[in-house]
Amino acid sequence: MKRLLTIALALLFVTASAFADDAAEPAKSLLVRTFQLKFKKAENAAALIKPLLSEEGSMSIRATGNALVVSDRAENIKQVVTALQDFDVEAQPFRLSVRLVSAGRAAQNEARVPAELRDVAPKLALLRYNALDSVGGAEVEGKEGEPGQIDLTSYRADFKFGEYDPASDSINLVDFKLSQLTGDQLTQVMKTTLNLKLGQTVIIGATKNAQSQRALMIVFTAKR
Amino acid sequence: MMTCEIFRSTFHADTENAALLGHLRTCDRCLDFAANVDPDVMFRALGGEDLVPPGGVELFVDDVMRQVRVRGAEKVATIQRPVSWMRRLAIAATLATAVTSGSLVYRHNSAIPSSMMTSIKRAPIAAHQIALVTKPIVETYESQSATIMEVPNEPNDDVKIVMIFDENLPADL
Repeated sequence: MKRLLTIALALLFVTASAFADDAAEPAKSLLVRTFQLKFKKAENAAALIKPLLSEEGSMSIRATGNALVVSDRAENIKQVVTALQDFDVEAQPFRLSVRLVSAGRAAQNEARVPAELRDVAPKLALLRYNALDSVGGAEVEGKEGEPGQIDLTSYRADFKFGEYDPASDSINLVDFKLSQLTGDQLTQVMKTTLNLKLGQTVIIGATKNAQSQRALMIVFTAKR
Repeated sequence: MMTCEIFRSTFHADTENAALLGHLRTCDRCLDFAANVDPDVMFRALGGEDLVPPGGVELFVDDVMRQVRVRGAEKVATIQRPVSWMRRLAIAATLATAVTSGSLVYRHNSAIPSSMMTSIKRAPIAAHQIALVTKPIVETYESQSATIMEVPNEPNDDVKIVMIFDENLPADL
């Protein structure tokens, strides 16, 4: 009888200890960390780390101080720390290449493609633009947040390098304003904000309507 | 037929008079009177001599006494049988162990799949999200009348075309 009692008490002690450990575990598992961002906006950082959080995890943006308050398990917090360390870095330099192409729809015998536009010609041909003329092109370097300006013969482009988004691997080109130079006067043609994926050639075609025989093609390529 | 007056005048304790005892069986008032004089008269009036249990009075008494002893023994046994504190503690500890072990096993079983599910499910979701995070190329465009159309292409295509149809654009682009 005493032996049975001893065994039962020992088991009770062991299981009670296990329960005590278990009860303490949830309290330990969730950590709360505040991350103050130096170079990037907390809103952009929030979008980046959102997929890294677990179901138990939560996050809030602190309006003052450009900070993020993240609550999650230790292993997720570790991933968040790594991601934020990679993200919140000083403004990175980028190279932006801009080419202006005057594209027209012409008869087969009038089709022309200059050598410097052979890379984009097959794509434009899909839209039946087969008569291409290079209006101008330039390459500019700049860091995130810096303004940029490009002169292209009869056009001028003003813009600002926005933030790099690691989630989509793209750079934001803020307020890209294309103006046409007529005599001494600059006339704004368009103003847009673009997301350019690094290494991808993006052609923005501008025309009055789908039936127009002419279009202005702006060919962008952003790189590090 | 004996009257109550005659009964009360002739009745005395330990009487065995059949007429007097017979009157008692029919008259309650005289029964009370007689009981005050002789408390045992009531049993004699009932004819107790005729009520002999089967097997005799002694056997009946023995049987009654045996039952009394059995009952007494049962009571003693019931009193002496309470579960000892050690046994109670052992039972309580065993029950507690069983309950806690069961709970732990349940929690263990339910914890493993959930953690596995998170790791199994989350990995593809996270990878999927990273792969699918795409922003529109034209985030904003300063014209109300414009139609913006992204030309579909292959996912890994190096060239992406977006057409902007805007009636406000100059004709001599």
